[in-house]
This record gives sequence, structure tokens and C-alpha cells, in this order.
Amino acid sequence: MTETLFDGLAVQSLAKCDPAKTGLLWSVFLSPDELLSAVKRLYQAEYFIEDLTAIDAKEGYLLVYHFDHMGHPGRVALRVLIYQEAPELPSIADVFQGAEWHERETTDFYGITFKGNPNPVPLLLMPEMKGHPLQKDDGARASLADLLPTGEIVRTVPGFDLLTPKAESGAATPA
Amino acid sequence: MAYEEFGLTEGDFYSRNFQKGMREDTMILNLGPQHPATHGVLRVIVELDGEYVIRAEPVIGYLHRMHEKMAEGRTITQYLPNMGRVDYGHALGWNGALVGAVERLAGFEVPERAEYIRVITTELNRITSHLLWWGAFTLDLGAITPIMYAFDDREQMLDILQMATGSRLTHSSFRFGGVCTDLSDRFIETCKAFVPHMRDRLPMYRGLVTDNVILRKRLEGVGIFDADLCRRYGASGPVVRGSGIDYDVRRAEPYSVYDRFDWKVPVYPAGDSMARYLVRMDEMEQSLNIIEQALASLPAGKIMMPKAPKVTWALPKGESYFATEGARGKVGVHLVSDGGKFPYKIKLRSPCYCNLSAFAEAARGLLLADALAILGSLDLVIPEIDR
Repeated sequence: MTETLFDGLAVQSLAKCDPAKTGLLWSVFLSPDELLSAVKRLYQAEYFIEDLTAIDAKEGYLLVYHFDHMGHPGRVALRVLIYQEAPELPSIADVFQGAEWHERETTDFYGITFKGNPNPVPLLLMPEMKGHPLQKDDGARASLADLLPTGEIVRTVPGFDLLTPKAESGAATPA
Repeated sequence: MAYEEFGLTEGDFYSRNFQKGMREDTMILNLGPQHPATHGVLRVIVELDGEYVIRAEPVIGYLHRMHEKMAEGRTITQYLPNMGRVDYGHALGWNGALVGAVERLAGFEVPERAEYIRVITTELNRITSHLLWWGAFTLDLGAITPIMYAFDDREQMLDILQMATGSRLTHSSFRFGGVCTDLSDRFIETCKAFVPHMRDRLPMYRGLVTDNVILRKRLEGVGIFDADLCRRYGASGPVVRGSGIDYDVRRAEPYSVYDRFDWKVPVYPAGDSMARYLVRMDEMEQSLNIIEQALASLPAGKIMMPKAPKVTWALPKGESYFATEGARGKVGVHLVSDGGKFPYKIKLRSPCYCNLSAFAEAARGLLLADALAILGSLDLVIPEIDR
């Protein structure tokens, strides 16, 4: 069912994963502009929101949204990369109201702004607090290719190389 | 700012934030963070029209300890005991989620006997958690006696659990690749004797409390969570099963050895506080069924895999997500590792957090006293919400 869920949507990469090894069924890379359309589709297909968080990596903040289905389980991870210089992307709290708290928490921890969040005040941290505890120093950031499995790629746009190892060996793009 | 127009310059950040856009003919009431009906430091601000809730906002974070940051400064083995501190009510549900995520990432095979021990102790822990909720919830509703009965049974179970886990509350007996101690003959004997005893107590609970007309009037038809609300907020556990959705992680994403036992997932369609109450009462019986079968078919063998990780062991590179069914709902651990000494990132998905986030919408238009009954029916454990 999920295989056709993102048809016609400009995803950067759609990969099938092995749930026994990763806990995910689908891993979907999207641009911030496509996020809301993808989330609306998940809502219409009766998915529920599990959680959302960010991974602070060399390439930027990778937002990870987890959704699952109560009737036919299989976790879908939506991934959106934004740059540390302008950490901003649209809020999905209009579609999944539960995202409001998750987004506020992510703002607390990473300093990411979710445009359109209905109540963008600190949630878990003190309002007076400066700084964002889960941000990493430049030197401590790893590259996404080292952190995330590629899975079995179903489709991808040309030039999408986030998960391609950029090591000296110059490994070929995994198909 | 609207609150200044009303002359509302008093109060802290959150009360001032809440006052923005309030109506002129309403009253704002602050409950907590120290409040007898919130069992911990939860604060809720409500806007009231007479006795009716127009708007509500839970203010959380008073027990926030930044468990996710702690994960980035210690090895995964050192981090394991944190799980029992996230949710003191159902510590082993969280133990299971973290060891599951690590075992999934590292590809560990857990010995069969260890999986059985995990199931037995997790289900015992689920019952102690439900008993704690049952006692505290009925206390919220004005019934003083039930908690005495609940704690009698719970105490006996804590003694049994202590034999297997070494602790009464913040259990931390799971290990990556097994469990830390084997079940003693005394444990098996006591536990086998306890299951029929507990099963006999449940009908008494029903007669004493569940069928009580006052309880029914307080809970029936109050605080409806429909399926759509559950999905929009990511509610799980007894909350969704009380809304007619047959969703239990033990069935939906089978883990451990739950598929070997004969047990039912209790589901009630009404979506009200009573339905959530009944789901938990039935679950205790189902957990007893699981424990009984697991004890009867407990295989012999090792309780740890060979070459189990040491304290300094570093996770392999990669990402994994593992979910378990905690007493309050879907517990999730999202683990990301770059192969370094410490985990790169850990995200903890707390079921209470998601369940509570739906409260503001579900409480709209209800009597304040009913809104408090909803809070109780969600079985909130604040350290789990705040992490």
C-alpha cells in the first residue's frame, strides 16, 4: 500500500528497508516544500504520528518523522534535510496536532524553527534558557552516510547523494 | 499584548502566554505543578466558563532531566539503567525497548530462556503498573479504599519481581543479549502460586469498584477519544484500545516470544474514560495468562548470549528503531550510532507524552471535574512525559 502512497510526489529518494534490521519499512527523503503534501497523504491513509526528531549531522539537520499504521503496521520515516545556517521548515501540526509538542521539543533541543506551529514557546526547557543542548560542535558531527542505512532504493532523483559514502575510496553509488 | 489590556501582568511565562486571546467573561485557573490530582509535577492551565473548560494547556517539563543528552555522554551499557528512571511504573517496558533497539542494530541473538524471563518479568511489571494506576485513579475520584487493596497485591508482586530483577521499582535487569539473573526456584514457585491468587482478586475488584454506580457515572461517556483523534496525536496503548482500535505492539510488531502464548488484546469501542479503565482491568488478566503459560513452558538454557558486550562496548554504525508495548502505550527507542564510543543520538518516544498531548482537545467543553477524571484515565507518569 505504501508503495503507491508517494506516487506523483517529488520525493528525493524512496527506499524500502528491512524492518527486522532497522525497525523501518520505508525511508523517504523529501525537500521541505514537499513535506506537508507527504504528511497529508499519510493522514488520509490513516497513519498515526509516532514521533519526530532531528539528527545533527555534517550536512545539516536531518529531521526524521516517524509514522505507523494501526491496521497494517510498517513504520515510515520521512526525512527532511535543512541547513544549520537557516534551520527552518513548515510545521505539520495543522495535519497531525500531536506534532505540536514534538516540534516544540525539537526547537528546544536544536533551535529549529517550525513555521506555523500554533504555540511556539519552549516545552521542556525553561523559557529563560539560552542555547540548545543537543546541537553538536562542528568537530563532533558525523556524515549522514555513516549514520543511516541506504535500504533498497525504489526511486531517487538524479544527483541525490546524501547517503553515498564520500570516503577516500570513492565508493560507487549504491543501487 | 492582550493580557496587558486586561491588566494581566501577573503570573509566570506560561500563564501570561496562555492569557493571550482569552475571552473577557472567563476565568483562568492554574492547576499544579503540585496538585493532588496530577500525581507528580504536572501543571495544567485551564480557561473556564463557569465550570466548563473552554481551553486547556498542559505545561510540562518540571521533571525534565534530558535523558537524550545523557545518552550522548556515556556508553550504551552505562545508559541502560536510565530506562528504569524514565518510567518508574513500567521500567521493564523501557528496558525492553532499549535492549531491543541495540540488539536489532548489532544483530544479537538472545537465548530463548532469557526471552521468557523478559516476558514474565515485563508482564508482572505491567500488572504492578496497572495496580498503581488503579489505586491512584480511584483515589482521584474520591474512593480511598481501593488503593489499599491494590498496594497489598502490588507489594507481593514487587517482592516477587525483586527476586528476578534485584529491585522493587527502577528495575534494570535486562542486558544486551540476555538478562542479568536467572529465575530461582523460589521465584518460580512463588510466582506460580501468586497467579491464581491474583486471578481471584480481579472479580473482587470488579465487584468492589468497577461495577460501582458512582464510578460508572463519573467515567461513562466522559472524555471521548475517537480513532481520528488518536491518530492525529499519536495516542497508543490502553487509550487507543479503549477507542475500539485493536492495536498492541506485542501483536503489531511482534517481538520477544509473545507469539507463543495464547492471549487476547482487550478492546472496548466507547472511547470514554470507562473504556480505558476496562481495558487496563482486562489487561491484568491477560498478563496473568501470559505469565502462567511462560512459566509452564520455560525452556532450559543460558540467559546470556556468548560474548555479550562489556561496559566499554561501542555500538556498530547505523540506525535502528524498536518499539515495545509499555503499560501506557507504545514505547519507542530510536538509536543512531556513528560507531563511536558513545551513541550519536537517542530519541525516546514516550507514550504518555503523546496521550497527554491529546488532553487539551479532548477536555474542551467538559466540566473541570470531568477533565481531571480524563487526566487520571490516561495513567500519566510524569517522568516519562518529561524524560
